[in-house]
Amino acid sequence: MICCVKYRAIGLAGLLALLPSVQAEEVGARWGTEQREREFYRVVNVPIPKGQVIESGAFELMPDNRMAIGTRRGDIYLMSGVDDDKPRPRFEKFAEGLDEIFGLAHRQGEKDALYVTHSAELTRVRDTNGDGRADRFETVSDAWGYRNYHEYAFGSKFDAKGNLYVALGLSASYHSRALFRGWAMKITPDGKSIPIASGLRSPGGIGPNEHGALFYIESQGPWNSSCSLKFLKPGGFMGHPVSFNWYPYAPGLKRPVAPESGTRIVTEKEKVRELVPYAVVFPYIRMGRSITGYVVDKTGGKFGPFENQIFLGDYTQSIIMRATTEQINGVWQGACYPFREGLSTGILNVQFTPKGRLLAGGTNRGWPVRGIKPFALERLDWTGKMPFEIKRIHITPDGFKILFTKPVDAKTGNDPKSYRVKTFTHIYHGGYGGPEVDQTTPTVQRAELAADGLSARITLSTLKRGHVHEFDLGALRDRRQGELLHRHAYYTVNEVPKK
Amino acid sequence: MRWAWAILVFTSAAVWAQPVVPGLLQERHGLDAAGQGRVLIEELRCAWCHKGAVKRKLGPDLSGVGARLDAGYLKRFLLDPHTADPGTQMPDILGMLPEDEQDATAEVLTYYLKSLSAGKFSRANVDASMVGAGKKLFEKVGCITCHAPGKGVGLKHVPAKYGLDSLSAFLFQPRHARPAGRMPDMNLTRAEARSIAAYLLGPKELKVTELNPNPAKVQAGKLVFRSLNCTSCHKLPNQKSQLKLPMAELTAGKGCLAEKPDGVPNFHLSAAQRDAIGKALAGIEKPLPDRLQVQHTMTALNCIACHTRDGAGGVSNAMFQHFGTDEEGLGNPGRIPPPLDGVGAKLRPEWLRKVLFDGEIVRPYMHTRMPQFGEAALAHLPPLLEKVDRLPPVTFPELKREGRRPYREAGHQLVGDKGLNCVACHNFNGKPSPGLKGLDLLTSFERLQPSWYAHFMRDPQKYRPGIVMPNFWPDGQAVRQDVLEGSTHEQLRAMWHYFSLGRSARDPAGIRSVGTDLLVTDRTRVYRGRSRVAGYRGIAVGFPGGVSYAFNAQNGTLSALWQGEFVSVYWGGQGAGNFNPKGRAIELAQDVAFYRLAKDDAPWPLRPVMTKEQPVNPDPLYPRNRGYQFGGYQLDKDGVPTFLYRTGAVTVEDIAHAVVANRLTGLVRTLRLEAPKAETIYFRVLTGKVQKLAPGQYGTDSLKVRVPEASALFRGQGEARELLLKLNLPKGKSEWGIRYDLLR
Repeated sequence: MICCVKYRAIGLAGLLALLPSVQAEEVGARWGTEQREREFYRVVNVPIPKGQVIESGAFELMPDNRMAIGTRRGDIYLMSGVDDDKPRPRFEKFAEGLDEIFGLAHRQGEKDALYVTHSAELTRVRDTNGDGRADRFETVSDAWGYRNYHEYAFGSKFDAKGNLYVALGLSASYHSRALFRGWAMKITPDGKSIPIASGLRSPGGIGPNEHGALFYIESQGPWNSSCSLKFLKPGGFMGHPVSFNWYPYAPGLKRPVAPESGTRIVTEKEKVRELVPYAVVFPYIRMGRSITGYVVDKTGGKFGPFENQIFLGDYTQSIIMRATTEQINGVWQGACYPFREGLSTGILNVQFTPKGRLLAGGTNRGWPVRGIKPFALERLDWTGKMPFEIKRIHITPDGFKILFTKPVDAKTGNDPKSYRVKTFTHIYHGGYGGPEVDQTTPTVQRAELAADGLSARITLSTLKRGHVHEFDLGALRDRRQGELLHRHAYYTVNEVPKK
Repeated sequence: MRWAWAILVFTSAAVWAQPVVPGLLQERHGLDAAGQGRVLIEELRCAWCHKGAVKRKLGPDLSGVGARLDAGYLKRFLLDPHTADPGTQMPDILGMLPEDEQDATAEVLTYYLKSLSAGKFSRANVDASMVGAGKKLFEKVGCITCHAPGKGVGLKHVPAKYGLDSLSAFLFQPRHARPAGRMPDMNLTRAEARSIAAYLLGPKELKVTELNPNPAKVQAGKLVFRSLNCTSCHKLPNQKSQLKLPMAELTAGKGCLAEKPDGVPNFHLSAAQRDAIGKALAGIEKPLPDRLQVQHTMTALNCIACHTRDGAGGVSNAMFQHFGTDEEGLGNPGRIPPPLDGVGAKLRPEWLRKVLFDGEIVRPYMHTRMPQFGEAALAHLPPLLEKVDRLPPVTFPELKREGRRPYREAGHQLVGDKGLNCVACHNFNGKPSPGLKGLDLLTSFERLQPSWYAHFMRDPQKYRPGIVMPNFWPDGQAVRQDVLEGSTHEQLRAMWHYFSLGRSARDPAGIRSVGTDLLVTDRTRVYRGRSRVAGYRGIAVGFPGGVSYAFNAQNGTLSALWQGEFVSVYWGGQGAGNFNPKGRAIELAQDVAFYRLAKDDAPWPLRPVMTKEQPVNPDPLYPRNRGYQFGGYQLDKDGVPTFLYRTGAVTVEDIAHAVVANRLTGLVRTLRLEAPKAETIYFRVLTGKVQKLAPGQYGTDSLKVRVPEASALFRGQGEARELLLKLNLPKGKSEWGIRYDLLR
């Protein structure tokens, strides 16, 4: 049943682009954890003044602690008071008239400027006369073609060296008809635009992972059976070959051999040297349908026990998820975890506030969304109560090490039967989406809970490279016999560490 | 008969010094004397001293009281709470002391309490002009339902007690100071809170009572605070409290319940209140049945002032006038909060919590606001409601994927104006109904339980008496016999399925998404987006006065001009909002405007054209390889942009101003060039069926341009003429002017 849904379903950046109107579609089942999540993370509405439309697509925290918000309608607002217990923020319009903003970056030392990634270009937007409104709009890069409204551009923040990265979606979500559609570009501090990777399909966000490596989020569709976090490897090929036509315009980069449709990525990457495998696969429907902007928790624990983890919003399901990554044998991989459902609109981006709350915003315009508000801003506040959660999963040579936020009781924690693991992979093919295939059920041979109850090592009969390892730990109990807030987690194994 | 107790208990309510619980003043709370007594026991916080099976209602948080209240008032209140604030729930404590110690004790307590916060109490003058607006708001949002003048929780003491800042802050977030939530958060903005504060304080000027620093008095107050057991209700760090007799061992007529309490806190209970509490004590250890517990909570929090449930509560005749609406056509359901009969079976559990704790609303037209009492007051209520409220279940089994289409179509048809025309009175996904702007239908599936929906639709009047919504299935018979074979159940199922699609539901017929017109007022406006008149990197510029032009930033050329309104933008779909000129646009060529021709008759380099057959850009570096690079724009103080770009090594500043004169309307455009060395470049002004009108004047049917004739190069034939300027640039700066006149 689920596989049929997946096969026929139409994603965020899917066929809809070609259809005159939005076609009806279900958004998938809920996790069913909303009521329990509320005890640990509250969703606080951040009211938008009556009559204003703020369809957030990008956030940036300014040095004066105001939150800059870039919108799909091309406005930039500066919001103050986002962290008030009862937020009734002031929105000051900094700029208007830009073209669908999916990136805002502040460069250190430039207190009156923002680097704005919108469909047309990367623009440095400045207030030169100090009146609080932008008056100078300077093109930093327009080194890509733009010939179709679906050719969205997503911009990162600046990295430590002052580079900014732009991820460019395909034309009409299937083609690459204009220059560098389906590529990622690096914009250097001196304004050079350097194409660094091909093979993107429909990015939803771009930025560093928790270790500072450059990642982006990819949407389900051709060559992508689920949404995934991917490592944006310089010189890499991210999986969708339609953008190969622009290699002649990318000096220093060599066109990879074409991948074969209907294969598995784990074998295909042996042939296509530049092919970068999905680092974290988000099983379609169960873990989002159109994942968008993300941010790493650097709040120093203000947001709870998930310091240094990636928080991602999903457009269709109006949810927030978590992800963690690690590099094994030189390849990035990791896991994703449910976090919070029940937000009010399609989430396009997230950002931490000065007080360590997570601001989320977006719209429900154009694609299926569960949330019922046409647009909204919401803030997730940690209540200070510790949820019982799977904190993080690491791979080991013969299984996994699972970390928890609260001590697990010895009885369930040492019982291998408490750890149910199944695996699957996807077909790597040019069709839209795809089923979960090649399922296996490895045996959990041993489970060993640490003395403090905060971690467990499990030994599996087999670890399948190229497979998503799906955990159901619903049988575990904390020391007060409490159940996990979310029992599932999904680890994508590209590589197995050597003993 | 049911109301007899209410009358009995409170007909003596002329003595207003007795503690007031506003819910018990309602005409129809429906509780008997023991029930009222039990509410009083909880509301008066008896359980903090007397352990028992009654909830402990949190006391006011005094940590900020120093900045919140005037010291003079505080002392008077401590000395005699019932005189300072008639109706207060605070018992007279100092009355337990010998009379000659009372004043000094109140004094040291005041010193102590004031010392608890670093903030300073202040009074600000109330602008008399704010008072009227505050009064209106006070009545409009629903404050008046609990604070009816002369009846209800009194507010006469407020001017002496608070300053404008502290009262505004309190009204903005009342649960900070009073976590029990009896004074709920009314979802006020800061400005609204200030306005209501101004009304409550009035323009009278009062002095701030100053206290001189006196650590000894502070210390003494701290000790007294503990010895008088204030800590029972007012939790403060490092202050412990003492428990008294367990509640089950209390006796009517004794202790606090004596007619003249002696040596114990004096609540100034009326005889009827003492009697009611006495009756309640008899069964106090027995937990209330769930349904009755709901009724108690609704009385204690005065939900019944606005809502009915199980025959109790409802808006009184006196209050009705204060319940307003923006949508009068919706009748009473547009102004009166909904009945709560069966609400636990009506709303989904998640939504019920969103309404109670997150301030979610779906009736923005209703003026009265749903108060936020907070989880401390109400966390117990949702599970109770879910337990006691039941409806005969109606299920709509999930449709198989292949069977969904007819239901989706039927739902879409029924909701739209070719069906039952629900959209005549309901908004949809934030888009307004052409008629009454009633509750947004897209919210239905997220909010409602399917059983309630099914029962409600078959008989709206039963669940919402007075609703203007017609019954489309009277006696279970569908009025639309042509949809799904006239089956009531299948039609309801189809609409439910349609609602379940959320945002992926196609908008019903009758709801229109319209383009948004961008208006130009007193400032020039710049809007970027794709447009047929300016390409994908298009920029529209609209001047006050009704002249607009478009700039193709991809190729660096002024590509269209028009008069009238600015642009309309479509923001309804996936795209960013392409713009369309609101006036008839005169379109110019969109190729690069500057170029270095090899010779005067060399062809102009045309932009690549993509077609259905050839959709891939064959020359993606067309503008760049012709020397063009866009650089952005600078707005002047009136918002007028100067476009900045390069052609080769030459930098260009390109600014146009609107001219609106009697006979001529158009643009005056100035090109300021800076060349590192002298060179000749060509600029293409106009193409097509162009005629030379006079020296330096050229035109088409719709546009006349004036250029420096010395530079003009007019070439081509018939409809393929081109007006170029051959610019001999000196090294350094030069300036060139072009005027565009729009012809009628």
